[in-house]
Amino acid sequence: MKANNIIIKITTIAVFAVALNYFYTFTFWRKELKNEAPDLLKLQRIADSCDILYFGESSNISYNPLTDTIKTSISGLIAEKLDGKILGDITHEAYHAGIYLPLIKRISNKNKVKSIIVTLNLRTLGPPCVHSGLESALQKQALYYRNLPPLIIHLWAALNNYDNQTEYERDYNLWKQWANDKLEVKGIDFNYLTVKQWCEAEKFRLPDGTENMEKRTLADHYVKAYGFVLNERNVRINDLDNIVNHCKNKKIKLFFNLLAENTQYADSLAGHTLVELMRYNRDYLMKKYNNMYVTTIDNLEKVEGKDYTDQNWTTEHYNYKGRNAIAANVALIVNSKVH
Amino acid sequence: MLFNSLPFFVFLPLVILIYYLLPYKTRWIFLLFTGYIFYGYLHPQFLILLFLSTFVDYLFALKIYNAKGVFEKRTYLAISLVFNISLLFIFKYLSMFLPDADPMLVNIKKATEPVKGMIMDAIYFSIPIGISFYTFQSLSYTFDVYFKKIEPQTNFARYATFVAYFPQLVAGPIERYKHLSSQLFANHKPVYANFSKGFRLLLMGFFLKMCIADNCGTYTNLIFENYKNYNGISILTGIIFFGLQIYTDFAGYTLIALGSSICMGIELMDNFRTPYLSTSISNFWKRWHISLTTWFKDYLYIPLGGNKVSIPRWIFNILLVFLISGFWHGANYTFIIWGAIHAFAYLAEHFTKPYINLSESKHKILRIAGGIKTFAIVSLAWVFFRAETITDANDIIYMVFNSTTSGNLQIDFKIWIVLAVFVVFDAMLLNNRIDNFLVTKSKIFRWSIYFLLLACILMFSATVKHPFVYFQF
Repeated sequence: MKANNIIIKITTIAVFAVALNYFYTFTFWRKELKNEAPDLLKLQRIADSCDILYFGESSNISYNPLTDTIKTSISGLIAEKLDGKILGDITHEAYHAGIYLPLIKRISNKNKVKSIIVTLNLRTLGPPCVHSGLESALQKQALYYRNLPPLIIHLWAALNNYDNQTEYERDYNLWKQWANDKLEVKGIDFNYLTVKQWCEAEKFRLPDGTENMEKRTLADHYVKAYGFVLNERNVRINDLDNIVNHCKNKKIKLFFNLLAENTQYADSLAGHTLVELMRYNRDYLMKKYNNMYVTTIDNLEKVEGKDYTDQNWTTEHYNYKGRNAIAANVALIVNSKVH
Repeated sequence: MLFNSLPFFVFLPLVILIYYLLPYKTRWIFLLFTGYIFYGYLHPQFLILLFLSTFVDYLFALKIYNAKGVFEKRTYLAISLVFNISLLFIFKYLSMFLPDADPMLVNIKKATEPVKGMIMDAIYFSIPIGISFYTFQSLSYTFDVYFKKIEPQTNFARYATFVAYFPQLVAGPIERYKHLSSQLFANHKPVYANFSKGFRLLLMGFFLKMCIADNCGTYTNLIFENYKNYNGISILTGIIFFGLQIYTDFAGYTLIALGSSICMGIELMDNFRTPYLSTSISNFWKRWHISLTTWFKDYLYIPLGGNKVSIPRWIFNILLVFLISGFWHGANYTFIIWGAIHAFAYLAEHFTKPYINLSESKHKILRIAGGIKTFAIVSLAWVFFRAETITDANDIIYMVFNSTTSGNLQIDFKIWIVLAVFVVFDAMLLNNRIDNFLVTKSKIFRWSIYFLLLACILMFSATVKHPFVYFQF
């Protein structure tokens, strides 16, 4: 009797929760999505009106406000160069493969979109981006992109059921990696065993023997941003693999757009070893994903050092010339593959 | 492990299930094990402190009991006290007297020299969760042995179970050995009434934490971190919201602790009795954080002579208890000011009682006035409790009346819905607890309340991360 009673009560609560989910979907959910994950609403809006979707981060929409008369985004420039195909974009600062993945999963077979271009930013595969302070906020957005009942997503967010480490905790993980990850690549002679050792030992002296602290800071930043060796243990590689597998299953044509990095500055500031490492990582990605039949478009050295809008930091923000060079390369390849 | 996290939703049912499946003589061992898992889930490195504190108090309680003379007994008590206070001092207060540390440098240290780095981290940034709670609980045991209120536990593991009992380990209620131990080692049967009681307490606890505290916390942070950008009304709202946040946060935690525990047949002591309905400060302290207040009363106030001393000495006793209570909360002068405000209000109330006694007035309107006065004093003190510095607290109070900015706090209407539910509940409950209150009501009424609370939790809980406020203590 008691057991029956309990079963009835649990069932009543379950039925109530299901009904509440419907109520929530039609009342509060849209407003919550607007606040927490507006890109999902955009995806739902444009997925039926375009053939190709471009997933990008700030590189897509940044420009040089002083020199650029044309401020069109990379995706906008690609769209102009595509033969009769409509291209839409989902652009959000600091997004990376781990955030694109749940968004891409929300593209349904019934949608018009059958091809996607995913920005592949080499820097986002490195420890500073993996352990970035922005990550908790991004992971929360990723939770909202998951295909779950709205009430579950709301409850998961309320219970902080996503990777929500504090900045302090992430900073520790970052230093752990810089202090412990070995810089070992066949064919590259590293003078230092780890990034931490590299930054400590290398004084980045100028030819006259003095030390330019401003340049040293920037050089230090370059070493930290690009001083990593890609391998299968990298969390972003895992995310990229998941994107590839999902697209294969859903028969979505996938392009990776490997963005340009300022190799010229990396060379002049931190030495050729760093550029060799960047090229090694590029080759790793190209080989890996071409082997998985994903068209990976190599733009790593497509933009000259002077065409980066941030001359004092490592970003993938380009002036019009830089954006256009990347767009032209992407459009050329996409046109040859999407008919 | 946090109560308001998914792992706890798996942990609790599993623990309850295994607890009842085990033969009753071994259950306490399982509780000890779960206590260490619960505590070590987020910061395993602090398990060593928990163990050390437990071991020292166990050892010295035995030594006190077996001591031959008063001097020997007192020496052992002093060692135990010094150890516990040192533990608190090193991990909670030492940073107050040291030069500021750069979090990045501590992280580098942790990455390269883990042991040194962890110690620096514990001293500066990651205070061992619940250290004030379990050291006080351990101390109460030593005092009780010293005052011959109890006999010491000879089995170390059994004593460790008392300290590490997971529902109350990190934020109380600060239990007494006599009350808890008899239940921990008893044979509890899985009783339906306990589960239903536990369910009600858990439901109310999660409602208070996730719907009220966390939602209020978002606005509180906005105001306390940017008070210069808001007008007086908004700042006042922020202050009131903090009062609501800290109460519902802590009371919510306590109810979850009580609810989890009662499901295993173990009843923990109450910590709150609708404190914001108090009509005087002395009444407030009979309803707020009861387990700590009674701790101070039993182990500090009464040994100091209580009220059976001269008036100047009594004033000193009251001041000391409140100031130490403030300092217990953390290494910041703001907490001492908070304690001082309460002490002065308490004393002022006492000495004006023959002339103005709002709380015991025959007129309801005067009692309500007493309630408003008490709430105003408590809220004023909360400003010091929440502000980063004394200057900030002074500025915030000044800005309530003198802000020239027009910035308005925009509050989501969802918040008003949950606040309305909360106010109605608090008024309905008065001195009662939700589980006892509902048991007397009809089935329809009870289930309406369950659905209402469940709907609020599922739809209106805040999605911003707010740790339990009392975890930092």
